[in-house]
Amino acid sequence: MHGWMGKVVKIDLSTGKQEPVEIDDDLRRRYLGGRGLGVKLYTQLCDEKTDPLSEENALIFLTGPLTGTVLTGGRYQIVSRSPLTSTICDSSSGGTFGEALKRTGLDGIVVVGKADKPVYLLVTDDGIQVKDAAHLWGKDTQATKQALLDETSSKASVASIGPAGENRVLFAAVMNDKDRAAGRGGLGAVMGSKNLKALVVNGTRNVTVADPEGLKELGSVLDRLVDKNPVTGKSLQVLGTSVLVNVINAHGMYPTENFRRGVFNDAEGASGEKIAETIFKARSACYRCPIACGRATQTTNAEGEGPEYESVWAFGAQLAVNDLMAITEANYRCNQLGLDTISCGNTIGCAMELFETGALPEKIAWGDSGRMTQLVEDIAYQRGLGAELAQGSRRLSEKYKRPELSMQVKGMELPAYDPRGVQGQALAYATSNRGGCHMRAYLIGPEILGQPCFIDRFSTAGKAEIVVLFQDISAFVDSALICRFLQFAMGADTFARMLNLVTGLDFSGEEVVSIGKRIYTLERIFNTKAGFGRKDDTLPPRFLSEELEEGASRNRLVKLDEMLDQYYRLRGWDQNGAPKEETLKDLRI
Amino acid sequence: MEITREELAGMIDHTELKSHSGEKKIRNLCSEAKTFSFYCVCVNPIYAALSSQLLEGSDVVVCSVVGFPLGSIPSRMKAREAQGAVADGAREIDMVVHVGALKDKKYDSVKDDIRAVVDASQPHPVKVILETCYLTDDEIVKGCELSVEAGARFVKTSTGFGAFGAFEDHVRLMRKTVGPDIGVKASGGIMNFKDAWRVIRAGASRLGTSAGVAILEGYSLYKFAPAAWLEPEIPCHNCPSRHAKLDKLPKSLYTYYKKKCLTCEHLETYNLFYD
Repeated sequence: MHGWMGKVVKIDLSTGKQEPVEIDDDLRRRYLGGRGLGVKLYTQLCDEKTDPLSEENALIFLTGPLTGTVLTGGRYQIVSRSPLTSTICDSSSGGTFGEALKRTGLDGIVVVGKADKPVYLLVTDDGIQVKDAAHLWGKDTQATKQALLDETSSKASVASIGPAGENRVLFAAVMNDKDRAAGRGGLGAVMGSKNLKALVVNGTRNVTVADPEGLKELGSVLDRLVDKNPVTGKSLQVLGTSVLVNVINAHGMYPTENFRRGVFNDAEGASGEKIAETIFKARSACYRCPIACGRATQTTNAEGEGPEYESVWAFGAQLAVNDLMAITEANYRCNQLGLDTISCGNTIGCAMELFETGALPEKIAWGDSGRMTQLVEDIAYQRGLGAELAQGSRRLSEKYKRPELSMQVKGMELPAYDPRGVQGQALAYATSNRGGCHMRAYLIGPEILGQPCFIDRFSTAGKAEIVVLFQDISAFVDSALICRFLQFAMGADTFARMLNLVTGLDFSGEEVVSIGKRIYTLERIFNTKAGFGRKDDTLPPRFLSEELEEGASRNRLVKLDEMLDQYYRLRGWDQNGAPKEETLKDLRI
Repeated sequence: MEITREELAGMIDHTELKSHSGEKKIRNLCSEAKTFSFYCVCVNPIYAALSSQLLEGSDVVVCSVVGFPLGSIPSRMKAREAQGAVADGAREIDMVVHVGALKDKKYDSVKDDIRAVVDASQPHPVKVILETCYLTDDEIVKGCELSVEAGARFVKTSTGFGAFGAFEDHVRLMRKTVGPDIGVKASGGIMNFKDAWRVIRAGASRLGTSAGVAILEGYSLYKFAPAAWLEPEIPCHNCPSRHAKLDKLPKSLYTYYKKKCLTCEHLETYNLFYD
């Protein structure tokens, strides 16, 4: 077998028992690995009644067939049920952890149960050992990583939670390597609920591929393709993801003050260009990645990685904060504490608007970077107002009787693109299986960046079809485990070719899309059983009824009704958004 | 766009003409042309021999440019350059017309210039680059007519080094002028499958682009939702008048393009400053 290591192990932390998980060739072909295989295994182990923070909940770490092989081969995926949204959820991360996990001889690890005291898993060629982590509990992610490297091997790779995960913050992240985050959906809280502090992986096995020469040849073609693409070859390499700050602001859809405005007058002061001029130290890359979009940075007081575009926004425009140093240090602290920066900043912005409207008594004003910094700490440790914010913006706004001020979908806080300026992205937000997320389908590519080509961002025509296509291909990419940025430069046929050269099988571009569709629909089935439906495939009322007053997206609203029915029809779902029987049969679910 | 991936690849002249491109880029170009079955590689004359050597035994043709990119050398020198390129293995020649002569209405001179290259390249086809960004519609029509009269087998829009590249309005006009039996090559600014689709729809039979691989990558997304990708666009976005800039064009030509906006059938429907 090439591409896969052929072994997934389930470990019950309550009993310490380990057993192999049966995965046959057909299952691998239909779900690949990562997100797809994770969702499939999850639905076999748990159901819609499973409490995300209970010991019954499964937490699945998976690599994919391309992990450890070609471009950007360091990725892995975590799958579980989200405590933030209650949807099925997966979260992806780069770095080297995925490759290191696979070199232990495992495609993945399924964790169930709950340890009676803090533990970590040491995964090597010899198997999995459950080790005491009492001495690590309470440490931040970087101290945890260093301690674990010191006591195991400097060659190991570590994924861990910080205090936020230990304290069950509903948007706690799992952090790996240096500041890489499986950030969204609160899977760090699931890890904390199991008393699982970290995974340390250190293997020596090789991942074999079916056609090494062919893969090398394709790799050089892909390198050039990446290099020639204006996004992957220039913008991301030179300025990192924060290159988007000025671009999105110029389009009048850079969410400002909890999405009340689409233009941030101080955007330039915390842009990719400004980062390059001030705090930038070096580029950083995931395993075998030619793009190297990461930024090693340094402020007066600290150093670390980032901030990425979404984090610059979350602690900048969203809160009307224009202090790049404060933004950067808030980002560093989120990484150390194990917090999702998007949900964290978005939720603080919600609190600021709640205060301004008089709903929230405790003062927290726009632009107050000092208060922002303090709140990041308080959220992670569930202290004072921080404990309320640790539940996410939906619960916070509901508590203060202003649910419309929470900028979320299905409970997950929205990222840094105002949907009023991009109709396709708006539909992608609304129909996302894990909530308010830009990664299920990144329509910003064609609607703003012209990748693979421009489509009219204000038009709804054809958007449902393109959203479905992007959702499906993204589900495939998260399952084969390829960096999302490669989607700017490559299409389905090339993804199939990569997979064929690695596995020796015969995937086609059509099968790539069909695998993605199967995964997306399986996720939807879980969500439907959990009570999600058309009522949840929507956006906060602000986007449907309040026009932006300035900038290049002024006087625009999201026209969701023009797209949603067609989206359901294309998906083979009924009018409530539930997959039809014939759809399941067609997709072999 | 009723076209297969193979047909699309077969219309592409895989192009590398930058002055700073070294041998490595030409090797990559030829390798990609074979891998993706492009029609030809389009290179500067200095790389015709190397390209021929690299593509020996394949179906990919070598095309060399001549008088590139300004077209402002004497006809005898263009002819010598073409002869040399053919001797080095070029099987198609893309020559740049003397744009100044065309604008001066020195039509005999233009025709002689083209004929000299056609004769020197025999029996291989010659494409005449008109550099449409510097021409009025009437001049484009005349340039096409003179090219056909002089024995060219293709007319071609642009060098890629001018004020702007191929627009479907110009391609449509060229196709209408030369009829179905002469090739029309659109080149310059064709960076993705939608750009390709626009000029093919307007009548292009060949595409000159350095983004051939990216175009095919895009095609593999296009094929899953063709209608959605090709929803009607705001015509101003792809109109040469919209892209005419005063700092890139002679004053008279800039004024010409902007005047066209004022008589455009779309004027009432679209605000020029939309988006």
